[in-house]
Amino acid sequence: MKHEISALMDGELFEDETDILFDQIRRDPGAQGDWAVYHLIGDVLRQPDYIHQDMGARVSEHMQNEPVILAPRSRALKQKARMFALSAAASVLAVGVVAWMSLQINPEAAPQMAMRQSDIRPVNLQIQPKSDDYLMAHQEFSTSNDMNGGASYIRTVTYSPEEKPQ
Amino acid sequence: MKLWLGVCGLLLAANACAAEVQSRLDWLKTVAFASHQTDYSGVFVYQYGSHVETSRIAHVTEKDSEYEKLESMDGPKREIIRHHGQVWIFSNHKMVQVDSQQGKIRFPSLLPDQLSALNENYQVKDAGTGRVAGYNTQIILFQPKDTLRYSHKIWIHTDSGLLLKSEVLNDKNQVVEQYTFTQLQIGSGVDRSWIASSNAMGATLKDEVKPSLNPTGKSVNSGWVVDALPSGFKKTMEVLRPMHGKHAPVLQMVFADGLSAISVFIEPADSDEDDNEGLSSRGAVNLYHKVVNNTLLNVVGEVPSLTVMQVLDSVRYNGK
Repeated sequence: MKHEISALMDGELFEDETDILFDQIRRDPGAQGDWAVYHLIGDVLRQPDYIHQDMGARVSEHMQNEPVILAPRSRALKQKARMFALSAAASVLAVGVVAWMSLQINPEAAPQMAMRQSDIRPVNLQIQPKSDDYLMAHQEFSTSNDMNGGASYIRTVTYSPEEKPQ
Repeated sequence: MKLWLGVCGLLLAANACAAEVQSRLDWLKTVAFASHQTDYSGVFVYQYGSHVETSRIAHVTEKDSEYEKLESMDGPKREIIRHHGQVWIFSNHKMVQVDSQQGKIRFPSLLPDQLSALNENYQVKDAGTGRVAGYNTQIILFQPKDTLRYSHKIWIHTDSGLLLKSEVLNDKNQVVEQYTFTQLQIGSGVDRSWIASSNAMGATLKDEVKPSLNPTGKSVNSGWVVDALPSGFKKTMEVLRPMHGKHAPVLQMVFADGLSAISVFIEPADSDEDDNEGLSSRGAVNLYHKVVNNTLLNVVGEVPSLTVMQVLDSVRYNGK
């Protein structure tokens, strides 16, 4: 469980695994503790000046002590709220425009899919001899021939020391 | 007024940008042309993971046709000879003809639609200049717009347009595979003595090759579809082809995005097959196979493992 939580925090789990694990953590107070401690460790490593321990608990405690205002809202307050909503909408729009502009100027900033190529390692790393035929058949029609010429054929005949010659 | 100036500036910038992209794409045309039309021979190192291997390559053109020989210098002796769309592999003292494409264009080069596909799916960047095997090169980087394909970085000889080095990079900028020339001779003076012997070999081999192995496939419309291809991959081919070691023909579909290709192979599954699913790789090529409803699916491509898996899981029969 601890390993899995650590992997989750490092973003090494797949989406479905993540969902299952979150479910488990939700039900298991011990795991919740681990989760908090791991984040605390991370925080300490990153930012030794500000360390928040049990922040969630402390925030809810403060909220308990906060007086509840039951007086009806005044008109002015409503007006203010509307103004705020409008200016918020305007700034959201502005952010949108800026984001759009940055996309236009620098396409690199386009949001990447939250998927990582390097996370999956093939189980049997080496291609089996019987798969060589597929590799060859693919190579013949692959676009990489157009630029790399014959050198790209090296993929189809490359050997590995572990592989026994047939 | 200011705004108007700004708009003008943007338009000019866009124009200049387009011109730069065009010049990089022109480089590619040069590369595609040079790799087929230039005589060269040299030694290159191919590397992926902890695997390093040295090979010798020779390429000559004669009477409008190309001869190419690729020879391993490490490990067991292997040799590939390509001539006029035919491929022979020499391995373990046996020579087999593995592929032949009748009617293939003699000097294939990047087609205009392939170039525009490339420009749509990758950001083409000028990555400066550098030296490879003693030659000056122009470096060009292709960055994909998603994580479903790899980045490619190529070093092009500024004079001849030959590709002297190539790197395939993953999304963490780690090298997945690379090959680089360590020694290269360009132009006249390249040894051509092996052409005659390979011609003779081709002639004798033609009789030996069993008709069943002649892999000229015929174009079909099978009714199989792939739903989850990464954007920009277009079908370039669909054939029903014989395959080495298979009794029944195998359906092969090829999809390309201008730089990388994905092949999908579909065939009835062997009933005694116990290897039902697996992922394997060689350099930048990933292969994923799976038996689904008594059908064996194989997906091969120079794309990340996640992509071949995603593609395989979206293959379905749509009916004719």
